[in-house]
Amino acid sequence: MSFLAQTVRQVLRQVPNRSLALTSAMRSLSISPAFHQQNKPAPSSVDASAIAKDQLKECQSICERINKQVAKSEQGRLFAVVHLCGKQFKITPGDIILVEGYWPPTIGDEISLDKVLLAGARDFTLVGRPILEPGLVSVKATVVEKTLTHTKTHFRKKRRKQYMRINFQRSPNTMIRINSIELARPVDAKTEPESEPSKRLF
Amino acid sequence: MVFLNLPLLVRARGPDEFWRKRRIFKLAAHYRSRTRNVYSLAIRSVHRALAYATKGRKLKKLDMAQLWTTRVEAGCQQYGVGLDTFKEGLARSDILLNKKMLSDLAIWEPRSFETLVKISRERAAVEGLPDIKRPSAFNQVYGLSNLKLD
Repeated sequence: MSFLAQTVRQVLRQVPNRSLALTSAMRSLSISPAFHQQNKPAPSSVDASAIAKDQLKECQSICERINKQVAKSEQGRLFAVVHLCGKQFKITPGDIILVEGYWPPTIGDEISLDKVLLAGARDFTLVGRPILEPGLVSVKATVVEKTLTHTKTHFRKKRRKQYMRINFQRSPNTMIRINSIELARPVDAKTEPESEPSKRLF
Repeated sequence: MVFLNLPLLVRARGPDEFWRKRRIFKLAAHYRSRTRNVYSLAIRSVHRALAYATKGRKLKKLDMAQLWTTRVEAGCQQYGVGLDTFKEGLARSDILLNKKMLSDLAIWEPRSFETLVKISRERAAVEGLPDIKRPSAFNQVYGLSNLKLD
């Protein structure tokens, strides 16, 4: 149930501002309503703002339930989908992820992965559009190891054409251990004045 | 003192024959039959194997992408939504999860994935994408036909 309501909430964010103008605009634009529209044409008396209010109330109750659960720390282990170095990883505390290719951080660096696309626990999921608000979910990680890959042999040959090339390549690999994933502040709280955003966004 | 006799003009034949062959034989050690022991056969199969390995590294990535597509498609079809509609609906809702993540979520986080499908279907219905036969649940409940959000 909470998932469905959450769905609606995502869709509903901007209702109060534009809905009235849009409904009238759309109705005047549509040429043959009975044929083109699958839905019944709306009665003109529908009060979109009242509906939006209902929805807002429901959203608030869901957020409250999430916040309550988090406050009692009953939410269990969180997982998150983070965007790192052009790839997305689904991570949970204790995981080790592998970043391929050149990546500046060195061993022992503690970093926080800020591009969180999705975070979830047993009973709820927060979906970012496209990323969650900065500071909502804090993902802390440590760079554990920097190595090279095994030697990859790049071999090309054309038969009967006296063409043969062989190259060997190794690229750097970085292992990162995820230390913790936490909900840093209550969901849907009024955003307080933005503190200094971190300089490097991983 | 300059030697101009014939043997010195012959092109060098590379490293010592034994070591040159040993490199190939090491790679062919696990082959079967004469490809393991006969140099002329071993070198053919080693070259072919190395070429396959080079190509295979690219193919592996393509194969994985195909596998993810299949998984995501199966995942959203169990809720009656086609892959294209699903991805279009997600993209229009600004949810930029990639195929790998979606397939992972479909397998390991089925309820989160279900939510994503619902979001996407709702968006597709509101935007009137052709694949969605059922009208938007939101529109049905509240009778706000053609209300476009965002």
